Amino acid sequence: MTSVIRAFGSEVLKFRRWSVLAGTGAMVLVSTFIAYLTFHQIASGATGKEMTGLIEAFRTPQGLVAVIGQARSVIIAIALIMVAANLASEWTLGTLRNLLVLQPHRLRWLAGKMLALVLFVLLSMLLTLVVSGAFILILAPGQGIRTEAWTSADGLGIFVEFLGNEALCLVGISALGMLVAVLTRSVVTAVGVGLAYILVLEGIIAVVAPEVSQWFPGRVFNTIVGATVPMVGPTPLQGYPAALGAALLWIVGLVVVSAIVFPRQDVKA
Amino acid sequence: MNAIETHGLIKHFGKRTAVDGLTMSVPEGSITGFIGPNGAGKTTTLRLLLGLVRPDAGSATVLGHSLTEFERYLPRVGALVEAPAVYPGLSGRTNLEVLARLGGHPRSRVGEVLETVELSDRARDRAGTYSLGMKQRLGVAMALLPDPELLILDEPANGLDPLGIIGMRGMLRLLRGQGKTILLSSHLLGELEHVADWLVMLHEGKSVYCGTARELLSQRVELVIEPEDDLQRELVTRITNAAGHAVTTEEGALRIACPAGFDKALDRQARETGVTNLTIRVEQPSLEQLFLALVKGQRP
Repeated sequence: MTSVIRAFGSEVLKFRRWSVLAGTGAMVLVSTFIAYLTFHQIASGATGKEMTGLIEAFRTPQGLVAVIGQARSVIIAIALIMVAANLASEWTLGTLRNLLVLQPHRLRWLAGKMLALVLFVLLSMLLTLVVSGAFILILAPGQGIRTEAWTSADGLGIFVEFLGNEALCLVGISALGMLVAVLTRSVVTAVGVGLAYILVLEGIIAVVAPEVSQWFPGRVFNTIVGATVPMVGPTPLQGYPAALGAALLWIVGLVVVSAIVFPRQDVKA
Repeated sequence: MNAIETHGLIKHFGKRTAVDGLTMSVPEGSITGFIGPNGAGKTTTLRLLLGLVRPDAGSATVLGHSLTEFERYLPRVGALVEAPAVYPGLSGRTNLEVLARLGGHPRSRVGEVLETVELSDRARDRAGTYSLGMKQRLGVAMALLPDPELLILDEPANGLDPLGIIGMRGMLRLLRGQGKTILLSSHLLGELEHVADWLVMLHEGKSVYCGTARELLSQRVELVIEPEDDLQRELVTRITNAAGHAVTTEEGALRIACPAGFDKALDRQARETGVTNLTIRVEQPSLEQLFLALVKGQRP
């Protein structure tokens, strides 16, 4: 356990790099901007078929989550990039050999590093939701929008539920990023393969064979959040409990495969 | 007592054999020069010893533990393998702190190793702004962090200026004086000649020499012959090649790295064919000349 804590502490020091902090900055800025655009459209009386659900939910306790949750794809993509690029960079930079000489128990090092990375991703997501949420709450009175429903006990409950499911979604995305990085061992390839899988491949399969794709990792991680507030993502066709179970199984599977592959790899970087 | 021993170590990467039945030893408390041309298998051997790659066959012990128990000996080993790997966005000090935290070493150790490699004044600058020589010194500092019993350094003098190389030489001698074992891979054979007391020469994944540097240097000489005509040149080349030694030509002179005593055999055979005026100068060969002779198939 001490080795894992040391690996965690060592990883935390690396978060001082601007490239890591830039990920959080991009997540906060882009998500807040998307939330603002969504809010502005609704507040300025926009109509449209695709906006109907959002407009209906806007003045209910789900309103705030529905607006700030519009940037979830961005949060997922940036989280995947952050984890895959960070882990794969140890191969690309060659720093992995320094680390594994000092901590030869590879799984302990990977566990410490991933704990730190997942925590960082979750804190970045929390910061993003708090900043974009606060921004909308500040803007709303100026546009004559009442926010009592959003800040009511119901509204806060929905926010916490959304936060929990979003956290689980990002843990799953991080596990996927870890496996992609371990298999590809290159920043460019890891990011490319990770994004292509989540955004393109699963998207195509979802169109061609939605009943199959509903069980795919990217899909189940995404749909468990849509179960809380349908406007922020697709809802699980198989129902929330089944999607939640599948998400947990995928997380365990991705971690187990990484834990089998990584200790057996030759470090040639 | 040997700090490192390998027996028939083999490592393949696909169809390529990087290390081919390597048997070698590194005595405790020595500075061992690890020499070989590019692709000879030096770096792969170092990676095998550090548990970064797994051998396909053979065995080895490092600090008394089998290669398979690398978790037991690695805490007593410091290493710089290939080019120094750093996080360019972090300062030199933070780069070391990352490793110190991981290895459970006190923060004060970071300051000590920065002093040792004379990098304290630039420690707060981003490592990405460092020159190659400074990165190299940072890499050596990383290797020194655990205060290791065995130090494995791969081309530590790369990018260092002459003063830096002299400083590195002094540091290696100081570390040997403290009882540490140093395995030093380098292309700078002249530099190794200054510091190494044990040599392991590698060629195509095999060891072509493993023994004391003094023995190697004393066993062999370099003959310099300036032939008067093509006939003499041809004769010397023929006799030398028949004896299994290589001849190189430098500014008209023939140079032959060979065992001591071959000058007499050469002179006798030349006289037997009627050449009585052959002038043979016997010189002490450099490590580089010996290495070239060894990789061409000769044995001391």
